[in-house]
Amino acid sequence: MEATNATPVKYDMDVVRWFTIMAAVYAVVGTLVGVYVASELAFPFLNFDIPEITFGRLRPLHTNAVIFAFGGCVLMATGFYIVQRTGATKLWSNTMAWFTFWGWNLIIVLAVITLPLGLSQGKEYAELPWWVDIMIAVVWLSYGLNYIMTIGIRKTSHIYVSNWFTMGMIVMITYLHVVNSMAIPVDWATSYSIYTGVQDAMIQWWWGHNAVGFYLTGGFLGIMYYFIPKQSGRPVFSYRLSVLHFWTLTFGYVWLGAHHLQYTALPDWTGSLGAAISLAMIIPSWGGAMNGMMTLSGAWDKLRTDYILRFLVTAMAFYAMSTFDGPVMAIKSVNALSHYTDWTVGHVHAGALGWMSMISFGAIYHMTKKLWNTEMYSDKLVNIHFWVALIGAVTYIVAMWVSGIMQGLMWRDYDEFGTLTYTFVESVSAMHPYYVMRAVGGAIFNLGTWIMLFNVVMTVRQANAASGVNAVAAKA
Amino acid sequence: MSDHDHIYSTKFQDKIEQKTLLMFVLTAIAVAVGGIVEIVPLFYLPNTGLASADGSFNNTSHKDLQGNAIPMDKIVWNPATSVHKTLEDWVPGDGVRPYKPLELAGRYVYIREGCFLCHSQMIRPFRDEKDRYGHYSIAEESMYDHTYQWGSKRTGPDLARLAGKYSDEWHRKHLKYPRDVVPESVMPNFFFLDKNPIDTVKLTKTMEVMTKMPFNPVPANIYTPEYIAGAAAQVEGKTEMDAVIAFLQSLGNQVKFEEGVNYRD
Amino acid sequence: MSENHNSAGGVPTTGHVWDDDLGDFVNQPPKWWMLGLTASAIWVVVYFAMYPSIPVAINGSYWHGLGLPGSGQWTAIKELAADQKALDDVRQPYEDKLKAMTPAQILADANLSEYVARSGKVLFSDNCAACHGQNGIGTKQEGSKFAQREQGYMAPILNDDDWLYGGDIDTIYETISGGRQGMMVAHEGMVSDADIDTLANAVAKGEPTSTPLFAASGCTACHGEDGKGMHAMGSANLTDKIWRFDGSVEGIKQTIKYGVNSGNPNARIAIMPNFTEAGKLSAVEMKKLAVYVYKFGGGQPSAAPEAAPVAADAAASAASEPAAQ
Ligand code: HEC
Ligand code: HEC
Ligand code: HEC
Ligand code: HEM
Ligand code: HEM
Ligand SMILES: [Ca+2]
Ligand SMILES: [Ca+2]
Ligand SMILES: [Cu+2]
Repeated sequence: MEATNATPVKYDMDVVRWFTIMAAVYAVVGTLVGVYVASELAFPFLNFDIPEITFGRLRPLHTNAVIFAFGGCVLMATGFYIVQRTGATKLWSNTMAWFTFWGWNLIIVLAVITLPLGLSQGKEYAELPWWVDIMIAVVWLSYGLNYIMTIGIRKTSHIYVSNWFTMGMIVMITYLHVVNSMAIPVDWATSYSIYTGVQDAMIQWWWGHNAVGFYLTGGFLGIMYYFIPKQSGRPVFSYRLSVLHFWTLTFGYVWLGAHHLQYTALPDWTGSLGAAISLAMIIPSWGGAMNGMMTLSGAWDKLRTDYILRFLVTAMAFYAMSTFDGPVMAIKSVNALSHYTDWTVGHVHAGALGWMSMISFGAIYHMTKKLWNTEMYSDKLVNIHFWVALIGAVTYIVAMWVSGIMQGLMWRDYDEFGTLTYTFVESVSAMHPYYVMRAVGGAIFNLGTWIMLFNVVMTVRQANAASGVNAVAAKA
Repeated sequence: MSDHDHIYSTKFQDKIEQKTLLMFVLTAIAVAVGGIVEIVPLFYLPNTGLASADGSFNNTSHKDLQGNAIPMDKIVWNPATSVHKTLEDWVPGDGVRPYKPLELAGRYVYIREGCFLCHSQMIRPFRDEKDRYGHYSIAEESMYDHTYQWGSKRTGPDLARLAGKYSDEWHRKHLKYPRDVVPESVMPNFFFLDKNPIDTVKLTKTMEVMTKMPFNPVPANIYTPEYIAGAAAQVEGKTEMDAVIAFLQSLGNQVKFEEGVNYRD
Repeated sequence: MSENHNSAGGVPTTGHVWDDDLGDFVNQPPKWWMLGLTASAIWVVVYFAMYPSIPVAINGSYWHGLGLPGSGQWTAIKELAADQKALDDVRQPYEDKLKAMTPAQILADANLSEYVARSGKVLFSDNCAACHGQNGIGTKQEGSKFAQREQGYMAPILNDDDWLYGGDIDTIYETISGGRQGMMVAHEGMVSDADIDTLANAVAKGEPTSTPLFAASGCTACHGEDGKGMHAMGSANLTDKIWRFDGSVEGIKQTIKYGVNSGNPNARIAIMPNFTEAGKLSAVEMKKLAVYVYKFGGGQPSAAPEAAPVAADAAASAASEPAAQ
């Protein structure tokens, strides 16, 4: 059954190479737009009276760029990479993978055009117009089908744990996208959800939360389960933990959407349900974090020299942190304070910058080396990127936690006469220093992505120069 | 197969891991449950603002302080039972109603400009929100909101009960250059709305679409074909700015709330 | 190259190998973790039993759970009621008194006016500051960005002692509860452009009566023989160089030409909303606001003589001399 050793497999890695490069490009673009929208909140003149770049139109561009462009390319690069290598097989269809590549990038280009033009369906992370939604469904299915069929034709007896998570993501995102995007078009630019009020809200946050849970987390856990053992050269800490982690997370995460709607006009049972299971989700999540960290036990010394491993381990720490922060925010009395504030934004970016980006950076570096069968152009720059990213992320997150909690406290503060202490605008102006701090932290983080892009491009050029061709699949 | 498989995984798990289809199906089932439990009941349990075919709102019944049921047509405007028969006659307090053409055009602008990313429209039942924004929001109030606009972030204040708080003139000035009236504001300038005429073709189509929705469509006795046909004329000469303002001025004054009555459970 | 037994403690892997060297140890999950998992499951069951969590219909509603020991079934509305009560217990003694009192009586009571001053702040900022500026200092609009007719203040400055309608407490209350909509007719066509020019120049100097045109054009009907305005109709004092709209000659010409709330499309707009009608504020809240506004410093004794003209321009008086009487 150790089939991999017998015959070296020639993989379909060209498409993976391109997804990897695009991931590095979109990391720059997505966070750059993030820095810009952050700056608009700190210095509103930056809206420059140009409708296309006002905050309300650019913010969706930021979220879509980081989630779908950056996150999506990372998921597809790593997905196609992992599924081939752990299955010791080529892709089920290389052609279809290229279709996925071009389709996905076309969607991203369409997002860049339509969002600033103000085409929006009015749902967070699901703003893209209805016909782009249809394209997303088609391209996503092409990815999913290819992925699952590749698992189907694997040469190994068992399906590797990374693939479980990715499969879960593929199925769940399909459900979510189809149900949440149900809308009736008015014309090519505009459509309205077929649901209203309460039902629409629940469906949106079932989508919103699980886009986070299965896409930004499940998919990236698949990345974690491959790249941490690979990079550290050690087997996964506990198989049983993997199994429990997978099934509890897959079954449990779906229920959390309702924590976004506590105290809203939904019946109380919905919010309570979401809150209870959210709190119960710490343990499964930490199981994953444990499994990643413990995989390193006995190899901690590697962290001193292996900068890629630093990214991966730091990601696990942030994963543990944001999956603690999240459940805490889901507690009724905490959510009463945190909802609507920057605390949520801080939590989001603890997950996004600390967990999902860090693990992506690690995976991108790892794959770059393997795919082009070379060393990084500069290991030193990898190390610098690590520190820059860490400082940027921490600055951002701290700023938002402080401002979020402050906002929440100011809004509800009463003086000894039983009257509200602060006006709303006082809270707006109190946020200013933190908005500046966030923009600075974001800019630092963004600088790191430029460093990565430079390093990756130089590495590729160096490898191409050395070999003259880039079509040779790397062998681990 | 190695011995360890039998020791360290259950037989079933071991089987799952070897069969792509089995894994796929089980995963597909595992991820479906939570969503079904949370979402489906919202379509048949009471208190979710969903009008069923018989107009009964799934037996929603709010009780007044004496414990008597408040008729639903006190909460949701019903031209058949109300003394005010058309949208133009409707007055605040008559109950939740669909949007008038100008407001609907404004709602489109509200979504397009991403206002919902900074403003919530959902007042929670907290004393500070009551003091700041007014009575907590109830399910019926967003029943005609195809693509709900509750928002998830308050960079700016909640707008759920904005109607009548400011004059149209104030809104015009504020929306154009918010910092000229509120120096601390971080809201973008929306001066350009004043220059854009309303897209009447879109508006008419939107009204038609609203009557065709599978859930909570606008009743055909409110958006009658004649009413829809007259919409373009109604908004003749108006700008997108007029439209957003009309939309903002329609928010939250529709239901007449009685102090102390529980409108949620 | 299967690394079946490569862990330090001699724990074996499951024996599966992927991609040359990927495998998994058969370590048990940490004990705390298994305990945690069990505890989580128990937590969910217990919580579901106590709180409304299970979507089943019951008695025309849904099942609200067994409730909490002591406080019974939890609902968000019950929680609101409890929180509100804690607040009301603090406020009630004050509010009860306020209900029965007139704004003037409140003003006379030191303790109560302190209470009102505090509770007025957020009320004012959230309802009034939009037009009148934080603390009533006005919202000066930057002319360059606006069409000319929009220049000036969004609404009158409230922390000076220049009043359109009068600065005694009862009048202020009346303004808030009833709204205001001062009207000045458009003089375009009624008064020649040349005359408007003369008038505007005289008014800009603060000496409207220096030209006979002032009376001849009918201005005195509203602004009085002396040009000092009449509280009864909210007409502005034209001798004090405090400008509500735009005090430049051009600006004044615009006001004269097109009027205020005259219906002319270029007219200046001056609408103080009717807060009673809007249903936004209760009577007590409006009383609080009246006192709050009065206490900006410009409040005047009831039935007071006309305010003494203030020499400084509006911005300066707003910023530096809110004191009055
Ligand atoms: C960048 C975030 C942002 C965006 C986008 C935004 N706003 Fe605002 N808005 C604010 C802030 C901050 C305030 C509070 C300060 C103020 O009154 O300007 C505010 C205040 C308001 C108010 C006054 C509410 C009150 O009760 O005082 C209205 C009305 C309003 N916005 C409407 C809109 C509309 C309509 C849009 C879209 C066309 C919009 N806003 C887009 C941030 C935003
Ligand atoms: C939409 C803008 C707007 C809002 C909001 C507003 N006002 Fe006014 N207010 C005005 C305008 C305009 C005038 C002048 C009316 C006129 O000239 O007829 C005015 C006049 C007044 C006056 C009379 C001033 C004088 O010189 O006699 C008082 C007092 C006042 N407002 C208090 C308040 C208070 C208290 C609130 C909040 C509850 C408030 N206003 C909210 C626009 C507003
Ligand atoms: C129908 C009554 C009426 C007549 C006639 C009238 N005014 Fe006025 N005028 C008003 C009112 C009321 C205001 C204040 C509006 C406000 O501030 O909200 C005002 C304001 C003004 C202002 C602006 C003051 C400022 O602070 O910016 C000027 C200047 C002025 N009037 C000049 C004139 C002149 C000159 C004439 C004669 C040609 C005239 N008015 C005739 C009612 C009148
Ligand atoms: C340089 C780095 C980044 C900066 C400066 C940045 C900045 C911002 C800003 C200013 C917002 C709007 C917050 C608000 O409305 O108050 C935002 C929202 C968001 N960003 Fe980022 N961002 C960055 C990176 C990322 C990354 C890598 C992701 C990956 C997924 C991400 C995901 C999101 C999401 C999901 C939201 C919406 C949050 C919400 O709705 O609460 N961001 N970001
Ligand atoms: C067990 C794990 C988690 C739980 C229980 C959880 C819980 C929460 C809660 C309670 C909120 C705030 C909802 C509100 O008040 O509006 C939230 C928001 C959010 N979380 Fe998490 N979280 C978890 C993990 C994560 C991770 C790992 C990420 C990122 C990769 C993430 C991304 C987000 C995003 C993007 C939002 C913003 C949604 C919005 O736009 O309002 N979460 N989460
Ligand atoms: Ca959000
Ligand atoms: Ca004056
Ligand atoms: Cu969530």
